[in-house]
Amino acid sequence: MRVDVLLFGPQAAMAQADSIVVELNTVTATVSQVLSALREAAPALASSLDTSRLAVNHAYACADDYITRDDEVALIGMVSGG
Amino acid sequence: MQTVERVVIEWVEGPAPAIQAPPILGAGAVASFTGIVRPTEDHRPLLALHYSRYDPMAQRELHRIAEYALARHRLLFVQFIHSIGRVDAGEASLQLLVAAAHRKPAIAAIDEIIDAMKRDVPIWKMPVYAEDRGQGT
Repeated sequence: MRVDVLLFGPQAAMAQADSIVVELNTVTATVSQVLSALREAAPALASSLDTSRLAVNHAYACADDYITRDDEVALIGMVSGG
Repeated sequence: MQTVERVVIEWVEGPAPAIQAPPILGAGAVASFTGIVRPTEDHRPLLALHYSRYDPMAQRELHRIAEYALARHRLLFVQFIHSIGRVDAGEASLQLLVAAAHRKPAIAAIDEIIDAMKRDVPIWKMPVYAEDRGQGT
């Protein structure tokens, strides 16, 4: 399974990319599995992942939530509106 | 008095203009907050902040926060204007206005809404430092 994880703000700058593709050897994956795969796929983001969440289809997801192939997945690092 | 939406969310390119509160039936208090770009960040002179968002999630999260505040504080109205793009130091990047029947819930809601925004709304700011001027930033 391939998951295209969207990046924004400082994390997009850190990775020098607007998205990162992670590969998993499963048909579906949990949020925590995708975060682990992301840590390996993008070492530049590793230091920021402990304070990041994944959003799936524009809503924050829990660690045990499943992600499927057609989901929109985004990495939401430290936000700073206002 | 015409009916107004209870939640209004606007995104503007550049500085956020001040909100003129609409007439709100039953309102006894209107409270507002203006967020302004500070002239320094991490003790470094700052020219501007560049704001970006993840849409539609940013819109959805602001709406969720506003609806929660409406119910929790019995607000009558919530309005946000948030900047996108460049906002120079000294300029406003956020305008928030709430209306309620009474003063205390209106003032309490302002603080809670800002805290929730800074925790959950996918908006990011990138600093433009004075020392970087002329280096393509």
